[in-house]
Amino acid sequence: MNANKLLDAIEDSALAQLVSKSDHLVGAGLQVAHILGFILLLGSLVLVNLRLLGWILPEEPLTKLSREAARLFTLGLTLAVVSGLLIFIATPRLYVVNWAFGLKAVLFAAALLIHFLLLRRVLKGDRPSRWLTRTAVGLSLTLWFGVSLAGRMIGFV
Amino acid sequence: MNDQVPAFLAGIYAWAQTVELSPVGVAIAESRYAFAVIEGVHLIGLAVAVGLLFIVDLRLLGVVLRGVPVSKVLRQLRPWIIAGFAVIFITGVLLFWSSAARLVLSPAFPIKLFLILLAGLNALYFELVIGRSEAVRQRPWSLPLNARIAGLASLSLWSLVIVFGRLIPYLPSWY
Repeated sequence: MNANKLLDAIEDSALAQLVSKSDHLVGAGLQVAHILGFILLLGSLVLVNLRLLGWILPEEPLTKLSREAARLFTLGLTLAVVSGLLIFIATPRLYVVNWAFGLKAVLFAAALLIHFLLLRRVLKGDRPSRWLTRTAVGLSLTLWFGVSLAGRMIGFV
Repeated sequence: MNDQVPAFLAGIYAWAQTVELSPVGVAIAESRYAFAVIEGVHLIGLAVAVGLLFIVDLRLLGVVLRGVPVSKVLRQLRPWIIAGFAVIFITGVLLFWSSAARLVLSPAFPIKLFLILLAGLNALYFELVIGRSEAVRQRPWSLPLNARIAGLASLSLWSLVIVFGRLIPYLPSWY
């Protein structure tokens, strides 16, 4: 199956048709859900990263805080991914040729990798080194902020 | 640029056009990436400020961080939230500067501003009245009803601000 046929299959699917054929405001609603999702996600990450640096709530145990933040992170990520997929499948062709979308996808993958392979280790770790902590925080925030900036560029390119 | 400017907006629209045609407005609009970057930073400031504020509101509702006294959560997060809102405000002014005429014509824009005003008043009322009340200060773990209502109002109002911000390009005119 070539790329064209794959895109057709996606676009013609029942779910994609449901989204693309409905009112413009459904699309707007999906975008709002997407934004609220990543606000939750970024909020939880800002909270936990600032805590890692010791800049907020320094007396609060890290494990408890990161567990709470993880709940918000999962909720925000789920909301953002589900709404993002629905937005994508409605008009996949618009997105696959858009370089900002490609950049966003790459940064998103990198952000997830850093999150699960590095940041979570640092959060669970027993006294991680300062260097490791700062690297994890820096990469986490840079990549996720990069995702949102690239996302905003999609409509401009 | 626009064929139909409603009569009641004529004066504001004329003013908005001069704003848009000012040196700063033109500089932003003409630069290839300035507008996109400013809007991106607006979004990041929003994610930080509103993201942390949502966490505060959820704490007021007793949903997260229940082990941390409310006053502590407020005290620790407040400076960051204020900093985030400063970024949102500055970038928002720049965005307005470069697209004033377009924004003024959308019904979503004044609604968004009005909702920001309501959210701001809610926050002010909480900070000056509810937050300083004996009920809140003496019960650092769970909160009286008015504090929880303020938290819910904050969540709702800021979500609506985001909704109407997103609706601006979808509602370009009153007709």
